[in-house]
Amino acid sequence: MAVGNFFDWLSSLFGVRRSVRLGIYGSVNVGKTTLANKIAKDWTGEEVGKASEIPHETRFVQKKEKVEIKHKNKKLMINLLDMPGIATKVDFKDFMKYGLSKRAAKQRAREATDGVIEAIKWLNNVDTVLAVMDATQDPLTQINITLLGNLEARRIPVIIVANKIDKKKAKPHLIREAFPQYPVVELSALKGNNIDSLYDAIAKHSRRGR
Amino acid sequence: MRKIKFDFVSSTVLDDKPKDKRISFILNKVKDGTILVTDGVLKPNEEMDLIKETMRRVDSGFPGIEVASLKKETKGLLSMVEKISDQSERIQNLMAGLTGKAAEKSALRTGITIIGPAKFIKKVKKNPDSFSVLTEV
Repeated sequence: MAVGNFFDWLSSLFGVRRSVRLGIYGSVNVGKTTLANKIAKDWTGEEVGKASEIPHETRFVQKKEKVEIKHKNKKLMINLLDMPGIATKVDFKDFMKYGLSKRAAKQRAREATDGVIEAIKWLNNVDTVLAVMDATQDPLTQINITLLGNLEARRIPVIIVANKIDKKKAKPHLIREAFPQYPVVELSALKGNNIDSLYDAIAKHSRRGR
Repeated sequence: MRKIKFDFVSSTVLDDKPKDKRISFILNKVKDGTILVTDGVLKPNEEMDLIKETMRRVDSGFPGIEVASLKKETKGLLSMVEKISDQSERIQNLMAGLTGKAAEKSALRTGITIIGPAKFIKKVKKNPDSFSVLTEV
């Protein structure tokens, strides 16, 4: 029995129910906040943060604590952590294309770089990760590979979320083919398609906090 | 016409450096506009450290980096040795953090890596066994 499972078993003997720190990770603009909002709204009626088409809308870790998920007679208490998108580059000029002034764009870039650093630091403080990927994009990116490699090295359970399956260009099977060793849930966080499969996967694969 | 400089660096040069110096070595070259190619692959935690350090150095003239690597797949015993080595390294890093001593050196994995400035490398297309890099100057 793995140490984590042993503690889960021991805790359950004494009726202690620890929550799962569920980190939502991924590249920029893959729909992390939309997914966090969908989960939070389904179980608490409140959203976590603002989603936007402008890259790096989430520049600080957004939390929604004590979200109780009930699925197939199972109850799981989670602390939802919506992370800033991980990127290897942040160019303030990209933000100006969305109508931001030079000054606002530079400020956003500064906050975005801090957000990436914060998201990486949080890898030491999550119990389970939803690795969100945009099913309309090529999944074999260095960010996805590096993220999954880090989670594997830390032995953090991962569920890959193939998001945006409501879009015509979506090819979620490419995500399954690229990462066959991980559980993959295909869904649309925006429309809510197949969201129950995600709750099923969270109940099945999550590891409680240590 | 603008020129791009490629530096092909043997992995032994990087192997000989402690991790923090290794990342500084890479970023100093890349921030100068050089595209660095080496016959090794950083470990996942080092790649995350590279991203973190890149973010600290981003400014209006340096928007960041593009990285692509191909690691030689290991199977069976070699794969197990790699995993044990990763765990041992995590413990060493933890101890180094607690004691304030510098982290140990560690060898790069077998493979190939290209790291360059994002302002020149416009796109990296990865496949399971190859990658293509599109540059623009």
